[in-house]
Amino acid sequence: MSSPDMKQLFVIATRRETEAYEFYSAAAAKVADPNVKDIFNQLAKDEKGHFDLIEKFRANPADMKKIAAPSSDWKVAESEDLPRLSTDMKPKDAVALAMKKEQQAVEMYRSLSTIATDQNVRKMFDNLANMELGHKHKLETVFVDIGYPEVF
Amino acid sequence: MIFVIGSNTTEAHPVISYYMKRAVKRGAILIVNDPRKIDLAKWATLYVQHKVGTDIAYINGLMNEIFKNGWAREEYLKNCTENPDVIREAVKEYPVEKASEICGVPVETMKKVAKILGESESASVCYTLGITEHICGTDNVKTLANLQMVLGNIGKYAAGLNPQRGQNNVQGACDMGALPNVFHNYQPVDNAAASEKIAKAWGVPSLPQKPGYKMPTMLRKALDGGTKILYCVGDNTVQTEPHMAHTIKEIEAIEFFIVCDIFPTITTPYAHVIFPDTSWGEEDGTFSNTERRVQRVRKALTPPGEARSHWWVMQELAKRLGKDLGFTSAQAVWEDMRKTATSYAGITWERIEKIGLQWPCPTLEHPGTQFLHKDGKFSRGKGLFVPTKWIPQAEQPDADFPVILSTGRRLWHYHSGTQTRNSVGMENLFGEELLEISPKDASAMNIKTGDTVRATSRRGSITLKAWVTERSAPGVAWCAFHFAEACANVLTIDRFDSVTETAEYKACAIKIEKVKDGEPLGVGTIRQARP
Repeated sequence: MSSPDMKQLFVIATRRETEAYEFYSAAAAKVADPNVKDIFNQLAKDEKGHFDLIEKFRANPADMKKIAAPSSDWKVAESEDLPRLSTDMKPKDAVALAMKKEQQAVEMYRSLSTIATDQNVRKMFDNLANMELGHKHKLETVFVDIGYPEVF
Repeated sequence: MIFVIGSNTTEAHPVISYYMKRAVKRGAILIVNDPRKIDLAKWATLYVQHKVGTDIAYINGLMNEIFKNGWAREEYLKNCTENPDVIREAVKEYPVEKASEICGVPVETMKKVAKILGESESASVCYTLGITEHICGTDNVKTLANLQMVLGNIGKYAAGLNPQRGQNNVQGACDMGALPNVFHNYQPVDNAAASEKIAKAWGVPSLPQKPGYKMPTMLRKALDGGTKILYCVGDNTVQTEPHMAHTIKEIEAIEFFIVCDIFPTITTPYAHVIFPDTSWGEEDGTFSNTERRVQRVRKALTPPGEARSHWWVMQELAKRLGKDLGFTSAQAVWEDMRKTATSYAGITWERIEKIGLQWPCPTLEHPGTQFLHKDGKFSRGKGLFVPTKWIPQAEQPDADFPVILSTGRRLWHYHSGTQTRNSVGMENLFGEELLEISPKDASAMNIKTGDTVRATSRRGSITLKAWVTERSAPGVAWCAFHFAEACANVLTIDRFDSVTETAEYKACAIKIEKVKDGEPLGVGTIRQARP
């Protein structure tokens, strides 16, 4: 892939959020468990919020520079396998799927950053990676809260 | 605000009781609910003496009052729970007047407790065996969970539902799969994916996918040949199971009985093979405490004689059964476990060299988890209310056996006394079991403190000295199971909670008779302590 410019950056970022929104909306329609449905609907809503945020950045790219990485990266998403989307998913699978998708987004932006030749564009991709890292961290927190039940 | 129910915290969990007392000194409200006026009651803002085995009626009554007065956390119920109207309706069956009749707590006291709970910003509920050792133990716990969800107290700092685990490492033992239906990390044995994953990691073709028996079933099945071999590690089964005479029959029926312990107990004479075990100070490893904190234990002494670490014994057995596990240390066992236990995966011995970590701790970067279900997020999505109904104890007092016996632990002794009864110091502090009797009952039977009495249930008799004390309510007596020579479990009933198979140690019917001067005691007095 050739070095992306600022225009492409916003196309990539908004497309990613749109696809994620569509994925979670479709997933919400597919799953049987109402709790999992709620989680996917909330995730779709979150992605819509991220889309709006990126649109704001398009208008004021300087604001993107303010995005800092979360204080820590627990790498919980990296330790889990990507769950298969299915009708009988459990809440922890839904959250695991979402945090894996955020991990993939972080990796995508980091990889685009490495191939960007324009220093400014590279920095913007790093900032987008930080934003996704923040989303990943939020989802990892939820996953740890619900993903290890002491059931016997 | 701390709400303690069914927990004799100062004696059974003295370290936790220290923190409770400190919280009280700093201004926390403490409500102690217990049929016995335990020492923690002295520290309580309010002590509530409910009748043995009436927890469900009492708590449902409190919830009724909480809903009635608009103290339920409606926002939490709406956002974090699935079926709030179910519990709202269910507790209507327990108006405080009706609940009070069942549990014996005055209506005004119940209203006061409900008000304190309802108006507290957060409340921590602490419970232990007084809740679980009943035929309705599972429902007792569910009732407390319902209360805490109604109050929005699950997933909040300094709140929650806090079972105080029984022994120093009962949490760790459960985490490591010392249960009949799960592998370590609570991976169900009947889940094919979990079973295959672990089999692959352990280098074996397959693992059993059928859950095993819980302990009472294991013992019961010995009588019909369903249990042929029993391997008992660090458990003095004869003394700790209910209805001792029946337990002995079950153990005698076992074809091959192996016991692993640090001292002879009243169980070891029944063993065909005894493995000398190491004590806590003689081996390396970890203990996981009641707050899921994994802590290091270090070998300070060389084990005597032929005593060996238990992992070594298991490994030698495995070798003789055709599998060399290849471990060289307790740490190697830990590292192997960590590979297939996601909640423990981030806990290395190096990370817990100084201070333990609380699981879930799934990666090396994760700091551990102080409390779960933050902001009311549950493993199943939203919290589910399961309404409960009060049922009476399995064995009611009657004309022949008019007193309820409840049992528990004393500060000075630990479990069946395998360790503490071999300590001269502990024996000097508390050297024999006493039967606690209320002044009213004692007066009616002309019994004074220090008199020798015989306590008899439908299952057996013990002889011990009486302790006339206000700790016991009229109609209720109490003793512990630490002393083989006067063990509560000679008397206790072998009726169990249908889910957990925990016995109803907290309630059976007995009669008490004063032993006249010169009358034979009927049991030998064995002092276990040795110099």
